[in-house]
Amino acid sequence: MKGQIGIRSMRWRCIEATAGLLAPLDREVVLGDLAETDSSVWRGLGDVLSLASRRQLALWKGWRPWAASIGLALPASLFLMGWSVAASGAVASVLREPAQLSAWGFSLSRIFLVTCWAWMAGFVVGSVSRSTLWASALACCGPCLHCSSLWPGHGLSFLRLLVFLVPGLFGVWRGRQELRLGLSLAVSLASAGALAFLISGKGGWMYSSSLLWPGWYLAATARRGSA
Amino acid sequence: MVGEFEYLILSAAEHLGEEAYGAAMREVIETTGGRNCSLGALYITLDRLEAKGLVDTWMSSPTQQRGGRAKRMVKVTGKGARAAREFYEAVIRISRGTAWAKNPRNQLPEDAA
Repeated sequence: MKGQIGIRSMRWRCIEATAGLLAPLDREVVLGDLAETDSSVWRGLGDVLSLASRRQLALWKGWRPWAASIGLALPASLFLMGWSVAASGAVASVLREPAQLSAWGFSLSRIFLVTCWAWMAGFVVGSVSRSTLWASALACCGPCLHCSSLWPGHGLSFLRLLVFLVPGLFGVWRGRQELRLGLSLAVSLASAGALAFLISGKGGWMYSSSLLWPGWYLAATARRGSA
Repeated sequence: MVGEFEYLILSAAEHLGEEAYGAAMREVIETTGGRNCSLGALYITLDRLEAKGLVDTWMSSPTQQRGGRAKRMVKVTGKGARAAREFYEAVIRISRGTAWAKNPRNQLPEDAA
């Protein structure tokens, strides 16, 4: 008897854990329905997974998941890996010859731009499509893993490629919470993003201009007024 | 016009009246309608019906029977009742003269052959 209760509670925990895929309201309603009808574990799991998958499919009918994953996370990860290597290289050269003031300015500007751009891209990914972050993460991780596997250096030196992930992930976290920035901050970030492309001039005009949209999207959707 | 599954949901909600919510509607659809119904299909279709203004839904207060969880209650609106009647009448009209409508309890010609 005790064993049966144990197995039952284990099955129920399995369903509850899977229900973590659902939004809080859906989770409450579906778990309540399943508790009331005393469904089998397989039926319960099927119910939870069918609702979660249908909700995800419904999200992909809109433009937001596509813009966040294919339109931003994928190309931005390629661009930002290049900038991460350039910024970390500039810092390394300053550390070798700390007396050169021009080198300090160059490396600081590179670090500033990669930080701004990664934070901005992360913020847009987090705010545009919060429920499909997994797809944006996959779109970002693919190129990162590929480039890390081809990295010619030794040991942990491939981490130079991934410097952008720290401000980027922070931006995602803020984007999930805030959704919109203040107008002055948004315009500053958009200008910094545009400046990054003017300085880099790599990847072609089409590639660069397609990556300018996050900054101007933030400016267009920014909070107006003093509030 | 509503679809077949939407019609089943509207009918189940109408049958249950003030006791219409997910688990109860699923039971009516499965026992009376004779077809399987996942909660995923049920709630996605309810969202669609609500967006069209054919049903209203709201959360009830939590109950002990459900482990302290709330129900999503459903009520068919006037527009929903009209849409369901339209579907029902279309099915009745299109079915007139068919073998299954003439002799619903008898064998169909293919069964006899």
